[in-house]
Amino acid sequence: MGVIDTMASMDNITIGLWVTGLMMLMVVIGVRVAFAAAMAGFLGLLWIFSAKLGFEKGLLVTIKMAGTIPHSKVSTLALSLIPTFILIGFLAYHAGLTRALFEAAKRWVGWLPGGMGVATVFSTAGFAAVSGASVATSAVFARIAIPEMLKLGYDKRFAAGVVAAGGTLASLIPPSAILVIYAIIVEQDVGALLMAGFLPGAVSALIYGGLVIFLASTRKNFGPPISGFSWKQRLQTLPGAMPIFLVVAIIMVCIYGGVGTPTEAGSLGAFIILVMALFKGMRWKELRSSLMETAKLTVMIFTIIWGVLLYVRFLGFADLPGAFSDWITSLDQNPMFTLILILLAYAVLGMFMDAIGMLLLTLPVVYPAVIALNGGDSVTAAESAFGVSGVGCSIWFGIIVVKMAEICLITPPIGLNCFVVAGVRPECSVQDVFRGVTPFFVADVITIAVLIALPGIVLWLPGLMGFS
Amino acid sequence: MSSSTTILEDQSRLSLADRTYFKLESSLNLLGGIIIILLVLFATVNVLGRWLFDLPISGYIDWVEQSMAFMAFLGIAYTQREGGHIRMDMLVSRLHGRRLWLVELISTVMMLLVTLALIYGSYLHFWRAYSLGDSSLDIDLPTWPAKFVVPFALTVLALRLLLQIWGYIRAAIEDTDQPVAVPLIEDAAAVAAKEAAAIISPDDIQEDK
Repeated sequence: MGVIDTMASMDNITIGLWVTGLMMLMVVIGVRVAFAAAMAGFLGLLWIFSAKLGFEKGLLVTIKMAGTIPHSKVSTLALSLIPTFILIGFLAYHAGLTRALFEAAKRWVGWLPGGMGVATVFSTAGFAAVSGASVATSAVFARIAIPEMLKLGYDKRFAAGVVAAGGTLASLIPPSAILVIYAIIVEQDVGALLMAGFLPGAVSALIYGGLVIFLASTRKNFGPPISGFSWKQRLQTLPGAMPIFLVVAIIMVCIYGGVGTPTEAGSLGAFIILVMALFKGMRWKELRSSLMETAKLTVMIFTIIWGVLLYVRFLGFADLPGAFSDWITSLDQNPMFTLILILLAYAVLGMFMDAIGMLLLTLPVVYPAVIALNGGDSVTAAESAFGVSGVGCSIWFGIIVVKMAEICLITPPIGLNCFVVAGVRPECSVQDVFRGVTPFFVADVITIAVLIALPGIVLWLPGLMGFS
Repeated sequence: MSSSTTILEDQSRLSLADRTYFKLESSLNLLGGIIIILLVLFATVNVLGRWLFDLPISGYIDWVEQSMAFMAFLGIAYTQREGGHIRMDMLVSRLHGRRLWLVELISTVMMLLVTLALIYGSYLHFWRAYSLGDSSLDIDLPTWPAKFVVPFALTVLALRLLLQIWGYIRAAIEDTDQPVAVPLIEDAAAVAAKEAAAIISPDDIQEDK
């Protein structure tokens, strides 16, 4: 009886800590993240209601409350965007976009120093943006771009590194499922997040491109520029690569211009890619496999969303986020330093966990603390700690944290992009790829520093839409 | 993002049950995928209709909201079978043999427990909507089908979890490294290789040497 009495008499924050600890334990022993969160939420609600109403009644209330969450949390219009983005990604492989894009990039930017490398950066970035899949993009371009770079005499480490790093540009440029997920968890406008991602994504790609040019002009082992394409030859490549630009443009125009909902924009994008894929010879077999993969990934994402929202429902009772915010704002140190520590914690966590799982599990507690650090929901930019308003902070933090999660794809020990490139190209070892990717990793760290120092890069487009 | 692991097969009753059940799970998952592409076509027609003819589909939002549960749940057991629900395998990837199967058994049993509780809860949620004749806001679609799909899909998942529990118990008893009917744990290199193989696009096959 002693234990049960103690459990019944605990205050809600203590319960919150125990349950959260239990959830982390479950995650560490390998329980699927969605179910670890759902289990924690369920047990937490059970604990709190049992303490109030007695076990039997508490159990019934908990079962009823928890039972409504899976259905009600997924049945929202905002979430319908996610499957359309995922479908775009899986159909994109059948639309013949990868080679078309690479060919176009080669003809348009190949004349630059390290031209083939620059072309690889931009075509990888473009395809990653539309497919939304970092690892898969790196795999595809490892097949297409690396052989061409090696033929021209590029260092194999560099060739592998540029492909692995290019894939990470997937999650900022629209369409980006992970930004949608972030927006929904923190209850921010989906359109604002999607718009906010564009410039940082484009800047990242430009920085990568600049880095390649710099490396090519200062070091050896880089192939010659490829020049001699006429304007006619350049223009010929545009139709094949056009769907990529079309998808990004449709999404941005619909959202920015307010002429369509994000789901309609995503659907239009998917429709264009579908038509393109059918035109390129996709048949039922390929369509079926795309649909299976799309359905699976959709289910995975939705399951983790409702699982985590069940845990969030419990957190609402336990007020753990409030306690964590109070603690973090009471720390006697510069808020910016605290923010950087939080980001470093994400960098470490990201080495062991998929970005979606990591963000969904941690944001319910971490996000309110970051907002509190900045000065609260309704703080103005002038009075805030980070120089961004309350709304601005939620958008800005989302972009930074997603960029952070992407960097983990190219850092040891589990930088999946590097493993996939090494897996596709037997001539490159994993160490080669990790070494080749190092300059890009440094560039990413600088990009993050710039985004932190100049939130305007993130907030300019959403600001034009009225989110500031 | 989505990974699927290798599932071994043999002539045992367990493996037969796994493969037979997988056919049902695959059909449900495909149905989920078909609903997704229907959503895409539906939203495309809606937006084009509005732009070109000023004629949006009536009840568009209701239809989309009611279809969400089908997309989110129909493939839940398929995804579990394929090892597609994400997790952290830092610890389990270091374990071997019996110890590994026991840990997997514990986590699968935990999943089953929470799934069972949610089946009952979501069934009550469905039953309320069904008996009250609850309907959507705009065009009065009944909400019970979407609410029913949750306990239904979770029940399919619960049976899959039972199959996996059977698989892990058998693996633990036999102390094998090659268990059937359960997802194997693969390291980053293997996951990456599989990811790479899964997405060969048609023009790669022709031109890549």
